[in-house]
Amino acid sequence: MGGRTIALHLLCAVSVFAQASQTPRSTPLDERLQRGREFLGLGAPPDAGAAAAGQKIFSANCAFCHGATANGGEGPNLVRSSLVLHDEKGELIGPVIQNGRPDKGMPAFSNFTSEQLHDLAEFLHQRVYEAVNRWGYQVGNIVTGSTSAGQSFFSQHCTSCHSPSGDLAHVGSKYQATDLQALFLFPRTLLPVPVHVSIRTPEGHEIDGTLVSQDDFTIVIKDKLGRMFSWQTEKIQFETHDPLAGHLDLLPRYTDADMHNVLAYLVTLK
Amino acid sequence: MRTAALCIALISSLVCAQTLDPAKLSQPPTDTWPTYNGDYSGRRFSPLKDIRLDNIRELSLAWMYRVKTGPQRGVSNVQIKSTPLEVNGVLYLTIPDHVWAVDAHSGTELWHYEWKDQGGHLIGNRGVGMYGDWLYFLAPDGWLISLNAADGAERWRVHVADAKLQYFTTMAPLVIRDHVVIGVGGDAMDVPGFLESRDPKTGALQWRWNTEPQAGEPGAETWPDAAAREHGGGMTWLPGTYDAELNLLYWGTGNPNPVFAGQSRKGANLWTCSIVALNPDNGKLAWYFQASPHDTHDWDDVETPVLFDGMVDGRPRKVMAQAARNGFLFLLDRTNGKNILSVPYSGADWADGLDVNGQPIPNPKKAPQRDGTLVNIPEQGGTNWYPPSFDPDTGMFYVNAQKGFSLFYLIDESANPEGYGGSGLTLWWQSALEAIDYRTGKICWSHTFPGTGRSESGVLSTAGGLLFSGDQHGNLIAFNAKTGALVWHFHLTAPVSNGPMTVELGGTQYLIVGAGDTLYAFAVRR
Repeated sequence: MGGRTIALHLLCAVSVFAQASQTPRSTPLDERLQRGREFLGLGAPPDAGAAAAGQKIFSANCAFCHGATANGGEGPNLVRSSLVLHDEKGELIGPVIQNGRPDKGMPAFSNFTSEQLHDLAEFLHQRVYEAVNRWGYQVGNIVTGSTSAGQSFFSQHCTSCHSPSGDLAHVGSKYQATDLQALFLFPRTLLPVPVHVSIRTPEGHEIDGTLVSQDDFTIVIKDKLGRMFSWQTEKIQFETHDPLAGHLDLLPRYTDADMHNVLAYLVTLK
Repeated sequence: MRTAALCIALISSLVCAQTLDPAKLSQPPTDTWPTYNGDYSGRRFSPLKDIRLDNIRELSLAWMYRVKTGPQRGVSNVQIKSTPLEVNGVLYLTIPDHVWAVDAHSGTELWHYEWKDQGGHLIGNRGVGMYGDWLYFLAPDGWLISLNAADGAERWRVHVADAKLQYFTTMAPLVIRDHVVIGVGGDAMDVPGFLESRDPKTGALQWRWNTEPQAGEPGAETWPDAAAREHGGGMTWLPGTYDAELNLLYWGTGNPNPVFAGQSRKGANLWTCSIVALNPDNGKLAWYFQASPHDTHDWDDVETPVLFDGMVDGRPRKVMAQAARNGFLFLLDRTNGKNILSVPYSGADWADGLDVNGQPIPNPKKAPQRDGTLVNIPEQGGTNWYPPSFDPDTGMFYVNAQKGFSLFYLIDESANPEGYGGSGLTLWWQSALEAIDYRTGKICWSHTFPGTGRSESGVLSTAGGLLFSGDQHGNLIAFNAKTGALVWHFHLTAPVSNGPMTVELGGTQYLIVGAGDTLYAFAVRR
């Protein structure tokens, strides 16, 4: 950890945030939902238009007993209902709505058209889908800290490598807060940040590059011309310099309040 | 030897019986590996020493067998997570929807059984169970299927869990006398966990143990209401262990539901995230130890409860050790469940000390928060399903441990959250193979695998002084079990994806390892 490491920190910090504007970091919501649907073995996604229409009918006629989001009130939770979970497109849900469940105090809604029944079923399937397919979950507002406390933490721990008007200028507008939180805690969570390696071969050659891969037996690096080199680790001397060493040092030291404060400060760097 | 060769030759003509001698189930594994863990103890310790420290450099590839299904629904690459059984020279291995019998001497496929994908999660399959001439396999969508070991013909199928409710089934059934014990997975839709025993002849239900107590039963007071209990999760998705002398079945249970959002299930949530001891004849609970009261981090406590006879304070004790996903190593007296030791082997800042029973007390500030909380353990926990090992020669407990930091978010803040209700994100991750002194929890040696990513390899120890495991880069590695020195390695086409096993056939010891879509066998050739 000498001057060299700090210089590398700076270099890398620049490249981290430079790459970020070009690299799509998070998969689009549609793709995530599709992935979740396949993994979970769910059928076709609910029809969003029908579900929206169904929600209106539900609010007016059903929410009084089953709750506005259908997860229960005086009447049962329909999101966890076995009947709803077995229904494909209203074939089980429809008859229950039409006939009611007089033994359990549910009135019959015999006046609904088949289209309205379909919409109601799709609304319930939409609610199930939202609960089950966690690939679509969205983290809420996470900017809750103190900007001034965050700025003060930043001055004490971050300014040897980073500058709010230099490498971090505009990070508050470049990134969503959730990404920014992961990025400042440990940039490699979302971005590839190369580790620098200095190799000394048995013949005495010194080669610098970035790490391609390393295990207990082999190390592969790429030099600045893009050439790959590989060695058995026991045959050479090598030193790795992770530009994120400072981030790793800080990880065990943050309180949750520190973390929230730093984020509150970074989002102001518009 | 001649008999074995004849036996193999006759398999194709369906004459040779594949019968598993029940006595093999209670012996340390040598020429037979009859259960997921090799024997009932869960130690994954082999008494074989044909492959040993002084000839390990001669260990070389004997054969490879590749499963050729191609990618499966919802999962990117096929991974052999099953530990194959080996009985009378035949290996039985699985991936979701598929079972194969393979000649253990040559890697030749003998038969293949395929189940048509009809739902469930294809996240993995841990293998088959065996009783006499019959195999038991759980299809992903909740079907228990019995096959003839000789030819893979289906004998019967019974539906044990409903995939429409988001149950899925991945475990290797555990056969104890005339009980086929099966557990279930599924925490996407707030369903209750259970464990069942089925008749090996017919598949008929013998008993069912519910993870959640019924109204009025002990433990019901650890839930706020019936709705929370009836939707409380606690899946039973890894095989347990068994002590024949005590006639106790030991099983780990999964996390409660909703997963990350605990506000509708205030209380300890028994018997989720617990080790339970059950009578295998009737499913009655003998005792429990709760590893994570009121878990909110998705840290199932299903990891193998490993049984061995230990010395504690100078006295011989029947103990059980578990490296839990929540980062703690637990040592219990397995006769009564009393805690002897609870020591973190990874980060454990989610816990705020231990209660009088040695159970960690969750720190509510480290439960998932809307704006995130930073926890000093990876999101998936300190370890996961990949099996650990206990070596009676070294007295060390070995586990592939995960170190790191992660964020946990509460997303569904409503009074009645659903499903996961939150999320986690690992920030930094490092894998280390740890050798732990079970008496103190002290780390005897630790080998950190260089580089990013995580090893999900199981561990096998042997009387040859060796420990076998894998790194995240595709190396199968042999360690000196005592010192942790790396003594041999072989680079596979994918990281080790199951628990390595070993058997002796016709005087040759084979080390058998699954990595991605390929099963590898190694032997010292003479």
